[in-house]
Amino acid sequence: MAEDALETRGRQVTRSNLARSEQFNGWAFVMPALVLLGIFMVYPILWSLWMSFQVGRGMNFSFGGLANIIRLTQDPVFLRALSNTMLFLAVQVPIMLILALLCASALNDSKLWGRGFFRTAIFLPCVTSLVAYAVVFKSMFAQDGILNQMLMGLNFISGPIPWFSDPFWAKAVIISAITWRWTGYNMIFYLAAMQNIDRSIYEAARIDGVPAWARFWYITVPMLKPVILFTTVISTIGTLQLFDEPNLLTQGGPSDSTLTLSMYIYNLSFRFMPSFGYAATVSYVIVVLVGILSFLQFLAARDRRR
Amino acid sequence: MSSVKLRGVRKSFGSVEVIKGVDLDIDSKEFVVFVGPSGCGKTTLLRMIAGLEGITTGDLEIGDARMNEVDPSKRGIAMVFQSYALYPHMTVRENMGFALRFARVPKDEIARQVEGAARILALEPLLNRFPKELSGGQRQRVAIGRAIVRQPEVFLFDEPLSNLDAELRVHMRIEIARLHKELKTTIVYVTHDQVEAMTLADKIVVLRDGIIEQVGRPLDLYDDPANQFVAGFIGSPKMNFLSAQVKEVGSGGVTIGLVNEGDASLRMPVAPNGTKVGDTVTLGIRPEHFGDAGQGGADLTVAVDVAEHLGSTSYIYANTTSSEQIIIEREESRSEIGMDQVTVSISAEKAFLFDQNGVRLR
Amino acid sequence: MSNPIALLGRTAQYVLLSFAAFISIFPFFWMAVGATNTSPDIVRGKATPGSALLTNIVTFFTSEDLPRVLFNSFFIAGVGTVLTLLVSSLAGYGFEIFRSRVREKVFGGMLLMLSIPFAALMIPLFVMMANLKLINTYQAIILPTVASIFIIFYFRQATKAFPTELRDAARIDGLKEWQIFLHVYMPVMRSTYAAATIIVFMTHWNNYLWPLIVLQTNDMKVLTLVVASLTSAYNPNYGTVMVGAIVATLPTLVIFFLLQRRFVEGMLGAVK
Repeated sequence: MAEDALETRGRQVTRSNLARSEQFNGWAFVMPALVLLGIFMVYPILWSLWMSFQVGRGMNFSFGGLANIIRLTQDPVFLRALSNTMLFLAVQVPIMLILALLCASALNDSKLWGRGFFRTAIFLPCVTSLVAYAVVFKSMFAQDGILNQMLMGLNFISGPIPWFSDPFWAKAVIISAITWRWTGYNMIFYLAAMQNIDRSIYEAARIDGVPAWARFWYITVPMLKPVILFTTVISTIGTLQLFDEPNLLTQGGPSDSTLTLSMYIYNLSFRFMPSFGYAATVSYVIVVLVGILSFLQFLAARDRRR
Repeated sequence: MSSVKLRGVRKSFGSVEVIKGVDLDIDSKEFVVFVGPSGCGKTTLLRMIAGLEGITTGDLEIGDARMNEVDPSKRGIAMVFQSYALYPHMTVRENMGFALRFARVPKDEIARQVEGAARILALEPLLNRFPKELSGGQRQRVAIGRAIVRQPEVFLFDEPLSNLDAELRVHMRIEIARLHKELKTTIVYVTHDQVEAMTLADKIVVLRDGIIEQVGRPLDLYDDPANQFVAGFIGSPKMNFLSAQVKEVGSGGVTIGLVNEGDASLRMPVAPNGTKVGDTVTLGIRPEHFGDAGQGGADLTVAVDVAEHLGSTSYIYANTTSSEQIIIEREESRSEIGMDQVTVSISAEKAFLFDQNGVRLR
Repeated sequence: MSNPIALLGRTAQYVLLSFAAFISIFPFFWMAVGATNTSPDIVRGKATPGSALLTNIVTFFTSEDLPRVLFNSFFIAGVGTVLTLLVSSLAGYGFEIFRSRVREKVFGGMLLMLSIPFAALMIPLFVMMANLKLINTYQAIILPTVASIFIIFYFRQATKAFPTELRDAARIDGLKEWQIFLHVYMPVMRSTYAAATIIVFMTHWNNYLWPLIVLQTNDMKVLTLVVASLTSAYNPNYGTVMVGAIVATLPTLVIFFLLQRRFVEGMLGAVK
């Protein structure tokens, strides 16, 4: 009889205290973050999605359907900002990541003299305050500034380069500034990942007579693929949101040649007569671009793995 | 010291059932070893006793109190983990006293308990070191010390020796056996190593796929395995299994013939238990139980593959005519050196017979 | 090193690294030298120390209510960093240790939001802050950045290297889940926290766009805004701004050098 009672009790599949407390704790630990994200991220995203269908100035707006999207296609300033941003992305991200990868593989050598110094030095730029490095760059790239003097001293150029008044060179300033700041940051990710690769794999490859470039290309790069993908996505997102550097160095000029999408959104919202609805539409262009590009990058990474 | 009782205990992760109904009595002060291949559920079962995993259905009692829903720290247990799980940011002293600190034991009492445990394990000179400054064996002792400090009713060990090298493993095995004598607590010990099970246990529980295959004293499992799985798992080197066919079923037993061995037949004094003439059965014989040619019920001539001569013992790895691999163990033997073929005998008293489902015929 | 190809490789290695290190460090040198020179000298490219340091310091420190500005910056970055590390590490730990199907979906959704640019959020956030009457307050700056998806992701990755047996041992030792987090997880993961501190402090300290939108009066301004407004003047006084640049850079540099040793360790754990 006692046995039977035990049997019946045993068969009731109840969730044990343990499972309940795991559930409770799981939510308790993530809740503060989720509440904050809900208020300061999810709600604004939905709000701006709704706003992107509104037209009007300031806080007076009305439903405009697709009016904002039509306006996008006819807005020369937007198209300029979009092409500038895409150009920054296409040129800057590959240069920076390749430089970072080269520096990391040069540093990943325990016999290297001055390794700690090099690592710290190359990482240092990303620790600087953004506004601080903006002023430094602005003064270095001045018409009679140190950079033009150096280049002329080395006979690379005959006259000073008009860094900030020529559209091409203004873009070059922005690209070199971002690259200067973020190469070391990406390098640290690569370096950390390289140090996780088992050293004996390289030793085996050396014994097999694999040359150094092939060890880099056929061992290091494939094993770093997840990190490379990660840094590519992060850098893409960062460059698409580019605001600080052009705003401080060139104010988008000359004649909008360094205007980015984020700057344009800022100008639409806070500089001109506020046009929140249209600004929200432009911001969704960035969301869509990030989505498409991240997806393509994941796809590319997966294809190469096959 | 407490007993532990498991009644109809089951455990599912989602739709996968890993413990499929376990009933077990562990007596007070008993040293019980759970043994089985990896994935058999032995660690899960231990973690259920500890309270680290929930029990899906069934009942767990420790010291006659139902413990299913009791917090791990209030079950009167202490656990020694496979990785030792020492807190890396605390000294040995802090590691050992950590549980008492959270049980609001006064400081001087904690110090006294820690010193006491350290004395038992000869850890006194190491008390102010950090885990990373200790050797593997020392870490192991600290992990045991941390368990002792809590003065548990039941000690739980989860494969505690698997991270040690062979020599240290033997040393710690003896230390744990000594400790059990000294502390006289109930111990539940999980291992995949049948040698540890045989040497340490008062009682061995052999598990496979979440089911208990057999429970018994170490030598009882060796002498009298319930089925082919237990027979193969207990004993080193493993028991040899040879396919055989039933030739005759009589009142006094079953006569079998080994496959591809011509006339060689053996009369086993067992009840047929439904086995019919022509059925395929398995004959089990331990490497150490082969006799010299002509001395048993049936002779078997095998081709020598490799022979290892260790001095006191020789192991001969050989193939039968039907390409079944067997191991023969010989004491103080020199006669097989350099031979291509060996003839040994099998006697019915030393052999076991298993039916098609692996159940032993007795 | 008898092999000529190996020698060549080694030389290339040093040339590359020396060049990269020079480019990386030169602007710091330039900043330090610039602080001692007058504005015309800087624009003229004078790379030797001058005698205007004292004048530049005095001009910078009297240009605004600087003690107030520094307090604002340190307060926002300090409180912001502590809150971000706490909230984000709690979440990263929670997502990794307590697995459930629903929370995995929530986490996946969060990762998707990682790609949402701040530009898309700033208008609604601004309107929200205006409605809550929080414009020009510390809360308005700190609150939106406390739950950082990137840092949550970072902590979750790092938690994969946290031995779960430590949590089991602590449970048997009688610790509640929050005590395990406080007394076991946090001290064991100090390297992870160190690396995160550098990144998080940097983002809070260097934050420019959001303060530019939300902070409006002089007494609430942060250092980035002051230095930026000095820089974007039509004819900036570079000597003065260089002093400002040094003041704005020093705290992050100090934190970096203090935590550097743990930083690489922490990154290592996160990339695994």
